Amino acid sequence: MAPIRLSKSVFGTLRVKPNHTLPIRQRCLYHSYEHDQPPPFPEAESSILSAAMRHVPDHGFTNAALKFGARDAGYLDVSTNLLPRGVFDLINYHLVTQRLALKDSVQFPTEGQVEGKAMGVGAKVRALTLARLRANGPIIHRWQEALAIMAQPTYAPASVAELARLADEIWFLAADTSVDSSWYTKRASLSALYAASDVFMTQDTSKDFIETEQFFDARLKDVSRMGSFMGAVGEWVGYTGHSAVNVLRSKGVRI
Amino acid sequence: MNDLMSLGIHRLWKDHFVRNLNPGRNPLTSSSSSEKGWNILDIAGGTGDIAFRMLDHASTINNDAHTKVTVADINPDMLAEGRKRALETPYARSPRLDFIEANAEKLDMIPDASIDLYTVAFGIRNFTHKEAAIREAYRVLKPGGVFACMEFSKVNNSLFDAVYKRWSFSAIPLIGQVVAGDRDSYQYLVESIERFPSQTEFRDMIKDAGFLVPGQGWEDLTGGIAAIHKGVKPA
Ligand SMILES: C[S@@+](CC[C@H](N)C(=O)[O-])C[C@H]1O[C@@H](n2cnc3c(N)ncnc32)[C@H](O)[C@@H]1O
Repeated sequence: MAPIRLSKSVFGTLRVKPNHTLPIRQRCLYHSYEHDQPPPFPEAESSILSAAMRHVPDHGFTNAALKFGARDAGYLDVSTNLLPRGVFDLINYHLVTQRLALKDSVQFPTEGQVEGKAMGVGAKVRALTLARLRANGPIIHRWQEALAIMAQPTYAPASVAELARLADEIWFLAADTSVDSSWYTKRASLSALYAASDVFMTQDTSKDFIETEQFFDARLKDVSRMGSFMGAVGEWVGYTGHSAVNVLRSKGVRI
Repeated sequence: MNDLMSLGIHRLWKDHFVRNLNPGRNPLTSSSSSEKGWNILDIAGGTGDIAFRMLDHASTINNDAHTKVTVADINPDMLAEGRKRALETPYARSPRLDFIEANAEKLDMIPDASIDLYTVAFGIRNFTHKEAAIREAYRVLKPGGVFACMEFSKVNNSLFDAVYKRWSFSAIPLIGQVVAGDRDSYQYLVESIERFPSQTEFRDMIKDAGFLVPGQGWEDLTGGIAAIHKGVKPA
């Protein structure tokens, strides 16, 4: 009883414009569309963490890197107490800053500027995802230990949420405007694809991570075969949000 | 008396408090040029409970033989007890441990910007002027230095709170009377906890003194029976 009441209020707006309002609401949660966004980290944290990132290639995602960072930023060893989650705060800083950097690091030619066909949404998603993977290049030899920390029960929910934000950012930057029921599947599929490629890349010793690119393309093809490019294949992913709507409908909630 | 009050859990809290602050400078991950060890001030540290843990952690976990703790307390009897207990540790006659009689609200003997870490465990509740004590902490800390305070606090779950209040208001003074024949001081203890500012109020007092606070500003222990508040002096 209780979950339905809760969901009713969440989905309540849908009665005005069935099938469309929910995705837009959700989209507003994540992407970096707004220009006057506050900086993602307070000043002191930011200066310690950005300095610490420079020590990750040598020291990994460790307390040592944090302490070196603190000293470089004019702080003390003890100042790392400013970061309540310690090393995970450093990993999270990398994830968030690299996600936000995507919109400046990958620029698509605007339509009309180039002869021939404009880049399709699919090609843009591919380019953005590969760019984000490549941004792990300088620290890839340290990334396995980071993935192990991200998988710890305390940090897994935050890590998964950040992965969802990345998928959302990529679809947004690819200018995907469809707001149909494929919204969830697109994000869920891309999250899964990204996570698999991310892990693959930690083992990749090929030049320019060409094997990771091939791995990504192969998985992308698998996904595409199941529907129109990550289309509405609710059965495949079984995305909970999607099925929740169906459950509510079967209970007579008007969505 | 803390033992009775928290049924011995306070020892686990103290272990956590110290481990989390991770005192000491590991020579393997330090640039050689900079100074050695931390300068720690443990206020209201009477019996040396926190100080010994700090020195043990620095030595065994961080291989640091330089970190130094100054224990300050307003009560000479407490300091005597601490000195006595220090004899059972390796630090009794080492320059790494020092005891001074001082009021937390006026630390004239401690120079400005000289301390890496200021700790106060189950002490600030007794201070008459808490703001003055926090201001003194800010003054003696180096830029980047940390203020860390562990204290009993308002329990944050209403059911738990109701049970805990019943327990603390009636049972603790009673136990105190039976065990120590001292009902009044236990009554005082329970009441002073009740009067202590909530986690958010105390966090804001720390911020008002000029500190940066990590995350929400505090960490609850065991459902919020106690809490650890931290502040970092901006560099
Ligand atoms: C409950 S004991 C805590 C001792 C120890 N820190 C611990 O955690 O076990 C409180 C201590 O605070 C000291 N104290 C009370 N007011 C003080 C003040 N204004 N300045 C310094 N110490 C004070 C008392 O003398 C006493 O030793």
